[in-house]
Amino acid sequence: MENSKLKQELVKLLGKDKVLTEELDLMYYSYDSSFLTKLEPVQPNAVVFPKSTEDVQKVVEFAYEHQVNIVPRGAGTGETGGCIAVQGGIVLDLSTWNEIIEIDVKNMQVIVSPGVIHAELNNELAKHNLFFPPDPGSSLMCTVGGMVANNASGLRAVKYWATEPYILGLEVVMPNGDVIVTGGMKARCIKNVSGINLTKLMVGSEGILGIVTRIRLRCFPKPKARGIAMAVFDNLDDAPEAVMDVYQAGILPSGIEILDSSAIKAVNDFKPEIKLPDAEAILLFEVDGNPPSVEYEGNVIREVTGRRARTVEWATEPKRMAELWEGRSVTAAASARVRPDGSRIFAGEDISVPISRVADTLRALRDLADQHGIQIVNYGHIGDGNVHTAPVINPEIPEEVEKVIKFVDEVHLLAIEMNGSTTGEHGVGAVRRPYAELEHGKAVDYMRKIKEAFDPAGIMNPGKVF
Amino acid sequence: MEFKKLPPVKEQLMKCVRCGKCRSVCPVFAEVGIETTAPRGHVFMVQMLRDGKVEPTNEVYERLGQCLLCETCSVNCPSGIDVHELNAAARSYIYENNPSAGKELLFDTLWTRPGMLRSSARVMSTVQRLGLQTLARKTGLTKILPGDLKEAEQMMDNIPSKSARSTLPEINPARGEKKYKLGYFLGCGTDLFSPSAATAAVDVLTRNGCEVIIPKDMKCCGLPHIANGKMETAQKLAAHNIKVFNAYDFDYIITDCASCSSALSRNNMEFLLAGLKIEDEALALSEKVMDLTVFLIDVLDLKIPVNKTAPKLRVTYHDPCHLANAQLIKNQPRELLSRIPGVELIEMKAANTCCGGSGTYSTTHYEMSMKILDKKMDHAMATGADILATCCPSCMMQLNYGCKRNNWEAEVLHPVELLSRYYRNN
Ligand SMILES: Cc1cc2nc3c(=O)[nH]c(=O)nc-3n(C[C@H](O)[C@H](O)[C@H](O)COP(=O)(O)OP(=O)(O)OC[C@H]3O[C@@H](n4cnc5c(N)ncnc54)[C@H](O)[C@@H]3O)c2cc1C
Ligand code: SF4
Ligand code: SF4
Repeated sequence: MENSKLKQELVKLLGKDKVLTEELDLMYYSYDSSFLTKLEPVQPNAVVFPKSTEDVQKVVEFAYEHQVNIVPRGAGTGETGGCIAVQGGIVLDLSTWNEIIEIDVKNMQVIVSPGVIHAELNNELAKHNLFFPPDPGSSLMCTVGGMVANNASGLRAVKYWATEPYILGLEVVMPNGDVIVTGGMKARCIKNVSGINLTKLMVGSEGILGIVTRIRLRCFPKPKARGIAMAVFDNLDDAPEAVMDVYQAGILPSGIEILDSSAIKAVNDFKPEIKLPDAEAILLFEVDGNPPSVEYEGNVIREVTGRRARTVEWATEPKRMAELWEGRSVTAAASARVRPDGSRIFAGEDISVPISRVADTLRALRDLADQHGIQIVNYGHIGDGNVHTAPVINPEIPEEVEKVIKFVDEVHLLAIEMNGSTTGEHGVGAVRRPYAELEHGKAVDYMRKIKEAFDPAGIMNPGKVF
Repeated sequence: MEFKKLPPVKEQLMKCVRCGKCRSVCPVFAEVGIETTAPRGHVFMVQMLRDGKVEPTNEVYERLGQCLLCETCSVNCPSGIDVHELNAAARSYIYENNPSAGKELLFDTLWTRPGMLRSSARVMSTVQRLGLQTLARKTGLTKILPGDLKEAEQMMDNIPSKSARSTLPEINPARGEKKYKLGYFLGCGTDLFSPSAATAAVDVLTRNGCEVIIPKDMKCCGLPHIANGKMETAQKLAAHNIKVFNAYDFDYIITDCASCSSALSRNNMEFLLAGLKIEDEALALSEKVMDLTVFLIDVLDLKIPVNKTAPKLRVTYHDPCHLANAQLIKNQPRELLSRIPGVELIEMKAANTCCGGSGTYSTTHYEMSMKILDKKMDHAMATGADILATCCPSCMMQLNYGCKRNNWEAEVLHPVELLSRYYRNN
């Protein structure tokens, strides 16, 4: 169908205000945060802004009837091209549908539309002493719908895990226009093992099985206290060992972050006033809970990591905590400035390996980077083995792009070789599809069968995941 | 102007990782919510323009023109991208290649000729007082600002009948022992719309041992031109002002207008005059330029004796984008206010969010500007303040209009006006 005809039809269905009417505007939906779409933006045939389940249903029914692809989109902060119409089609921008429908304080749950921003949800929940624990670095901008679709997690995944365990039920518009509710039509319960768990299946399905239009999620009581420990290591191998020691001592911090020497250097070059100690690795532990337990756990961490670390500092005073954490909070910005004529890119940025192999992985990454002549900055969630590698290149020099593509491929292969995964939290999208068979073997066939059962017409966000 | 060679275009476009952080801070995006208004979207579009993937058309200009140039995205961008500079550069590039894209602003005539600008404003002020708005519209007098001017006309009522220039002498000697010789950069906004701020500034400075010189032949700082796709005119204005001010031997060049000090700042000069011969002279000027409140606090360290009998005044402060974002100046205006006896400073929520005025934006994009203004006014009014203080005549005009729209009787003032009033009453 011609773009202009498609637009007319969509305007008939939703009204002019919910459809992008100018051709030029479609270009703005040709990218997300992935390096792929920075290099090669792909523009959709139409963009709509549904604000209700009925709106979504109308568009999906129309698309089903006319065999047009449909691609859900949140804030477009995904790093995999997941929300891009790589094979053309209608993009449904759900980010403008941002309603917190109900905060059910008594039942410790909240019901939201897909476009609610993560940070805004937590601001509202805080008024009731509640919070939704997964905390992606993109909290200020990403949508809860996008988090569900990508099963996003973040710094505190060590203790609180990812989005999935918090999702109690979903309303989903299926690729043929059916609307289903998972987790029980009327349920407000927390425990529920009735039926095949379609909620779990939907979470992390990256928008290829249906469009999430309503989310019922579980909240936790907001912890009253926090503490931060910074441990500095002369030997990289000691860092993961120290993490093990802390676990062995019976402590489960909310987050454990690592900066390796590349990140330490990047931070110090960017903001010398932060004065990170020159070292092979720095670990940051975050502990949360009640004040006495935080104090107790902090003391144990100090003692246990002190056996291997050059120095350890523990703080519960907000200003000092912020100072200790500052190195981590500016890492992204610092890696953007490692080269005045270059930029960090989001590619090969999310591998996940066993905790015991983090040190080997970091070393292997540096070797790979050297082999390819690419500068990298390594940091990540060492508490769960999720390593973020930031390659720094000039994306406008074709030879550098070519080199980095090869490097990124090897990074993904390295993750698999290390008994890990090509992605710990960002997802597969369009960029990591080639590794599906290698990672999952025969299981991919069953993934395809599920996809076919849900989306026989093959219109739901094609070209993603496998 | 070689668009592709401008430093932000050459060095920064590639640095955008499309992370979207800027989506969370842009006041326009907060209202519209779609990617065509996101700072990230503007960066993308500038790149498309540079790469020849889109033509310099009116449509592209319109998209980019939705941005207030408030710089909020730029200060929050983890990659250090000056999103507003990219946007402004692109507007000029489009205008150069396609003059129909720019609004007919009369910029190159009126705004570059202070005398004419002043007389138009004077006529308009008279016309308004006589209640002859229709006549003003018909004769096109409201066209001294761009945009659809029914609204501009509403906003510009109460134009003072006398400009600051017409009441202030060129040379204002220091009272008492002379400590500093200052050039006063009298911006068009202050001159025409807030002359009382200028009078107060001169009063406070001369009382505190400063000789204040207002060079007669200075012109507009050029910021409105940058915002409206006319970088070349802005360059000419800068060159002119550099010559005028560098001819004196000033200790500092002071302005009470956030936009003027940001236009004359090192950052902006480097952007505007990159590669031109006068860059060095420009930087010499920038070195001396200082916001009035910064001068009063950091240089003079103004001390006012405690006065328990001073009447109580509840004051809230709005951060002008060109001060808080462009120059990271937030403390000194607040510090100055709190040093004035009787003043109780009450912080409003989101004090450093744009008021939607942004120079000519309120007239080129009236509806959007009002949405942003109304949010600001909600926060301001919630403080229950008597006085809404800010350091930029464009914000003052917008906030005044906000008070009127909301029937709120607070007085909108520059902090220096409060201080001058205090001096005069004590
Ligand atoms: C600076 C930065 C930091 C980040 N930090 C983290 C982090 O710490 N942890 C982490 O996990 N991720 C992180 N991310 C990745 C990204 O922010 C998350 O994956 C986020 O959940 C994506 O949300 P979004 O709203 O932007 O979704 P989008 O990017 O718009 O979409 C992501 C996927 O979800 C699908 N989708 C969106 N909405 C729906 C819906 N309603 N129904 C069905 N499918 C839908 C899309 O089709 C697409 O496949 C980061 C990204 C950036 C740029
Ligand atoms: S915050 Fe900066 S890097 Fe991120 S999308 Fe916006 S302009 Fe690009
Ligand atoms: S300068 Fe202000 S209005 Fe313009 S894109 Fe940035 S934040 Fe938005």
